[in-house]
Amino acid sequence: MREKTPRKFSTTPGTRDVLPPESTRLLDAQARVLERFRLHGFREIVTPALEYSEVIEEPKLRDSAFKLFDPDNQMLLLRPEVTTPVARLVAQRLRNSPPPYKLSYSLPVYRRTGVGRGQSAEFRQAGVEAVGSASPGEDAGTIALLVDVLRTLGLRPGTDFALVLGQAAFYRGYLNSAAPGAASGVLAALADKDLVRVDEISYTLQPEVAASVREIPRLVGPAADGSVLERAGRYAGENEEAAAALENLHRILEHLQAVGCLDGVMLDFGLIGRHDYYTGAVYEVYASGLGFTVANGGRYDNLLRRFGEPLPATGFAISLERLVSVLPDEEPAPLVVLVGASVEATRTAADLRGSGVPVLHLAEDLPPAQAAEYARSVDAGWVCYPAPDGVKLAAADGGEPEIVSLEECAGRVLS
Amino acid sequence: MRGLRVAVPKGAIFEDALAALEAAGLPVGVLREDGRKLLYRAEGAEFIVSRPSDVPVFVEHGAADIGIVGKDVLDEQRPNVVELRDLGTGACQMVLAAPRNKVEEVQRAISHAEVVRVGTKFPNVARRYFEGMGRQAEVIELHGSVELAPLVGLAECIVDLTATGTTLRENDLVVMDDISSSTARLIANRGSYRLRHREVAALVEAMQRNGNRVG
Repeated sequence: MREKTPRKFSTTPGTRDVLPPESTRLLDAQARVLERFRLHGFREIVTPALEYSEVIEEPKLRDSAFKLFDPDNQMLLLRPEVTTPVARLVAQRLRNSPPPYKLSYSLPVYRRTGVGRGQSAEFRQAGVEAVGSASPGEDAGTIALLVDVLRTLGLRPGTDFALVLGQAAFYRGYLNSAAPGAASGVLAALADKDLVRVDEISYTLQPEVAASVREIPRLVGPAADGSVLERAGRYAGENEEAAAALENLHRILEHLQAVGCLDGVMLDFGLIGRHDYYTGAVYEVYASGLGFTVANGGRYDNLLRRFGEPLPATGFAISLERLVSVLPDEEPAPLVVLVGASVEATRTAADLRGSGVPVLHLAEDLPPAQAAEYARSVDAGWVCYPAPDGVKLAAADGGEPEIVSLEECAGRVLS
Repeated sequence: MRGLRVAVPKGAIFEDALAALEAAGLPVGVLREDGRKLLYRAEGAEFIVSRPSDVPVFVEHGAADIGIVGKDVLDEQRPNVVELRDLGTGACQMVLAAPRNKVEEVQRAISHAEVVRVGTKFPNVARRYFEGMGRQAEVIELHGSVELAPLVGLAECIVDLTATGTTLRENDLVVMDDISSSTARLIANRGSYRLRHREVAALVEAMQRNGNRVG
């Protein structure tokens, strides 16, 4: 029997080691995401993992954050998200350059999670923030970027994923004018996604208001067919705030239509965002076969005020691990294991790399069977030994070795 | 695409849940045929049968698209799911109860903000109840026969669910306070609610239309 591993040598609850090929898929996906971010002009930033606890105000995030104390006995948090640290960074560091600030990041975040709920305490978020512009074109721009990223990674809108778009100001605006006394209770219930409680509160209101209070958060449907917007328009009526929110949504959808991003967009007037800081358009991405959001974002025009710079802003964050879990399977990257302790082997490895072939040089004299086993353990498709004027090449899953030229070897491995 | 997958709770609200789903036009007949299976496939829907407290877990993770579960379980677990409809069935009360001869003692302890020991299957509900009153409690989590705890001195009082009060009476326990009331709820996974909104909305509407006759 193997000796029992001491508990302190395992990873802590909710964290894990990520091994190939999963780690390769994760970092490949990250690289492709960041490439799309750059294509849209977003520049990467890195913020510290530790922040003063005062930086994060959102109660749910504060509660879920890991906390520790610095030498001055100040409370610190491991960042539970990146949007608020970016807001802090913009307010502190960028006030002398002209807005808007278009920033991106891909960083791990940390949250205490209920043990047994299958959630991670550490996961990667890749996201963008466009700070300093209230234009609906910026909302649409970030949404279009998110759709672009998902498409680039091989997900089909409407089939593999849906982007659910809401407008936090619509229902809030309606309630503030039609049922001001009940507004905060209704919004709190909706934030908990408790439509039953929304109904219960509605029964204390005037019948015509009550019906709208019940029906607005249940307005859900594809953005491409205009009926949801039309129905929302009827509820907005004379209400200025709700009408303005709806107008904003119309503008966003126009921009999205212009770039062909309307497929896979669902409208949901019951979506008001998981954090209190959302003030306008909010959205979440769901992938078929996954019960959790893959990405979420929205407009947060009041967050920067806390840091002394009242700037409007919008952005989103993708949960990279969840994204990778729904990506279509891909062939493993080509790799050849070159076996041999000789100088000749070292030179051959370098020559092969020079022609673009990924080579793992195993500087041992290993017999073919063992070399093939090793190659399979590192997901390499090929094994080769140096030979005069070329290599002796064999497939890692068996097959007769063949002496081929370096060009021929490169051709086979990369094909 | 497969039909909606529905999580149905075993036990007290099983029949009520079936009636509600049947009213919504789902082929629940298969569930009555063989009581031992865990997963049932029927035309246009799949059913899983689980412990009530596991229903929100299946739904939150998207392993089931929708489910039926008591509000008491939702209050305890606070899962991230959409709560769509109150089925009005399976009504029961979450109560604070103590043995008849201990009621005054417990009442005094609570009013003096002394620490009372509470046995319960609903530790989060119990904790929030006492915190909400600004009172202190030592919560002892149990998984069954909570009524036993005060009889043998494990706890001074209990926080538990009661429908008719029979079990409490049989054990000579008296209700000291009503904490909340609970009925069966229809819940949905957040993703399924959006990605399969047409099906889910049709189901809710059919329940609303036909359910009142059943309930």
